[in-house]
Amino acid sequence: MSAHRIMYWQIENIWLFYLLTAIALVLFFIGAGSHVWVWRKSSKSVSLSGIGRALNKMMMDIFTGRRLIHGDMAAGLMHFAIFWGFFLLFAGTCVLSVHHYVVEFMEGGIYLWFSLLMEIGGILLLVGVVWGLARRYLQRVPRLERRAEDALMPLWFVMMVLSGFVLEGARLSVHQPQWAAWSFVGNWTAGLIPVATAEVLYPTFWWAHALLCLGFIAVVCYSKMFHILGAPASIFFSSAAPVSPPGLDDEAGRLDVAEAVFYDGCMRCGRCVAACPSTGAGEAYAPRDFVQWARKQMWQTRFPYKDIRLWNRNGYEGVNESLWYCTTCRACLEVCPVYGAAFEAVAKERRQAVEEGTLVPALMNQTLEKLFRYDNPWESSKKQRGAWAEELDGEITDLSKRGAEADLCYFVGCTTSFDDRARGIAKSFSKVLRQADVSFGILGKKEPCCGDIGRRVGEFGLFEEQKEKCESLFDKYGISDVVTSSPHCYHTLATDYTDTQFKARHYTMLLKELLDSKKFAFDKRLNVTVTFHDPCYLGRHNRIFDAPRDVIRAIPGVRLVEMEHTRENSLCCGGGGGRMWQDLKGERKMSEVRIEEAEATGAQILITACPLCLIMMEDARKAAGTKEGFRVMDLNELLLEALETE
Amino acid sequence: MSELNIIVCVKQIPDPEAPLSDVSIDADNMEVIVDAPQVISPFDENALEAAIQLSEESGGKVTVLSMGKKLSDSVLRKALAAGADELILLEDNGFDKLDSHSTAAVLAAAIKKIGSYDLVLTGRQAGDWDSGQVGLILGEMLELPCISLAREIKVEDGSVIVKKTVPAGYERVKAALPALITVSNEVGELRYISRTRMLKMMRGGIFHPGPPRRSAFRRMRSKS
Repeated sequence: MSAHRIMYWQIENIWLFYLLTAIALVLFFIGAGSHVWVWRKSSKSVSLSGIGRALNKMMMDIFTGRRLIHGDMAAGLMHFAIFWGFFLLFAGTCVLSVHHYVVEFMEGGIYLWFSLLMEIGGILLLVGVVWGLARRYLQRVPRLERRAEDALMPLWFVMMVLSGFVLEGARLSVHQPQWAAWSFVGNWTAGLIPVATAEVLYPTFWWAHALLCLGFIAVVCYSKMFHILGAPASIFFSSAAPVSPPGLDDEAGRLDVAEAVFYDGCMRCGRCVAACPSTGAGEAYAPRDFVQWARKQMWQTRFPYKDIRLWNRNGYEGVNESLWYCTTCRACLEVCPVYGAAFEAVAKERRQAVEEGTLVPALMNQTLEKLFRYDNPWESSKKQRGAWAEELDGEITDLSKRGAEADLCYFVGCTTSFDDRARGIAKSFSKVLRQADVSFGILGKKEPCCGDIGRRVGEFGLFEEQKEKCESLFDKYGISDVVTSSPHCYHTLATDYTDTQFKARHYTMLLKELLDSKKFAFDKRLNVTVTFHDPCYLGRHNRIFDAPRDVIRAIPGVRLVEMEHTRENSLCCGGGGGRMWQDLKGERKMSEVRIEEAEATGAQILITACPLCLIMMEDARKAAGTKEGFRVMDLNELLLEALETE
Repeated sequence: MSELNIIVCVKQIPDPEAPLSDVSIDADNMEVIVDAPQVISPFDENALEAAIQLSEESGGKVTVLSMGKKLSDSVLRKALAAGADELILLEDNGFDKLDSHSTAAVLAAAIKKIGSYDLVLTGRQAGDWDSGQVGLILGEMLELPCISLAREIKVEDGSVIVKKTVPAGYERVKAALPALITVSNEVGELRYISRTRMLKMMRGGIFHPGPPRRSAFRRMRSKS
């Protein structure tokens, strides 16, 4: 006799099983359908592009678990075990149904391999889930929460697997087929259950296992386990329908489909919490909580029966008040397994707060008023904008003057124009450009704000106004090539402006080009060790990691060492997303955390490439009391030291 | 609580927080020349916020009153965008450089013309000259009970209870309605008015020119 399994052995009243299955499936599909309904109701019309690429990415992420393993090996392997265990058992059960109801093929060798794979699936699932429980409750990994469903769901899995093995053991104990060794776990449990007991209790085991499994199917869409469907959907939509820039006429609270799916796909893994520099500095903000609040809000406002979740419905009251903490540094998106941008959810909420008006903090209120009145957030006169240039020897072309011409427009930016320390960037960069014989000019007092602050703090009307000012100015003076001091201006000009007629670059990109075309004649050996702080809007947002490093390494005598958090894992200085103009308290300052890391490398100089980073780090250097001689410099300032002839 | 009709007097001034480089002195004419955008005087904005909050609680109407020589729509319509129901502008070349007493007289005449009201709010002082007189003189002219330097305003059963700032802390003062109150910054900053909201208000709003010249009295209402 070839190997096989008797289906529904000893089971009576199978109609009851079919009824329960039907109920479970109906609940499942109602839940899944409700999610789709809410997503559609919450979001603008969807247009998909690059579906093939998105599907491929989704499949690779699902089956290899690469996104999860990257960044946290232990958690990744744990999930890998749970995923493959669950997948094998689920797929196996489906295959078995096909065998029973459609076409019989599960005999002999096929059945033996099937049995073996199911055993492996059970073990993988059990190992993964127990490991997960240990991580959460024994090891107490800081980023993990311990809410009711966090214990319930893994224990449910444990029960499902154990009941399965017991059931299998009982069956094998009675039948004792000669191929029992293939089911090695079941064979072992069979040894623990006497034949007589097994025969009597088998139906009880069977029904217990069936109820656990059907119950699980029924609650998937009503618990955090929805990520089984939500996470793949989020990965797909984040790629096929990326979050589009918000339009001025968008209805308040309207989401992109990728955002709506992300809120539901989030299963509170807390990787964003571990990566968030604000949380890390002990501030009252955690991206995960914000996303969960947004999810709840979405259901409360769009779904007739309010929140669909059975567990974890409470505990997010007032989380939205933390919306001003986020520096929009993108660290959360960098690690999110489902590619969700918590900082964009924050921007959405900020937009609502700005429209509402009463919830805008006093300092931010004043800053936005200043931005509108003076085109800069620094309480300074438009007239003083080009004042730094007067401190240089030799005049800099003002492109807004009659007859002025230059190949390149240097967009200095508000902070670099007005802040005493940041003006060093403008001065040194101008000198570097002169040394390299680049024909450039500035817009002087005509230069407006690029709109970055308005965009990040949710004042989209102001952003639009400033964007129009910039564009009409570039248009008027025939400017087609723009280089910025600030990665924030660069990102805004290059990404947030759409259908532009000009090319925008950050100065590090230009320096790299000048270096490659051998425009720098180095004059001095510096003999220093430096470390480089990746500005968020240069690195993470625009993936420019190597250009500044190449420039640093090209300077004779400069040794570059890296900090613990570097490149895409860089820590934010705390100045982005409007935080520079706010007074929010945490246990520590993000910049102080960062400067300690910089000092720990043993470097003598911390190099940055952003005016906000420069100010924040310089202040932190003074406040933290770093060792004698430790300096914070802009890349241009370092470069100039090596270029300048005495 | 019965509905409240509140009149808020606001003054348009050059931005008192303008950078120093935008301010120069004309010694010959003994004048300070401020090359800065016009704004609503900060304490008047506080008064406006207090009025809006009171009307949000109890219902009623907030009327904003301003006078001057060259009044700017784009500056003063901010009051409508913030939530005031009506904006009345008193505009005349003669209203330039009036002293506190004359200013109060003009405002008093306008308020008598408006007729019914429960509360008149002004800022504790204007952000340009900081005299702090108009509010109290206005109260005298209207024969109203006056409370100055309010940090908190509550209306209960036909009277108003005000926490009034004094050097050692605050006093709680009660007066019968109608009353005049000068408002201090502690009541809170005027809510933020987004640019989109402001632009909507610039397009909307009903404009009542009234008889030209002589009366110098124009009304604007918010659409809603």
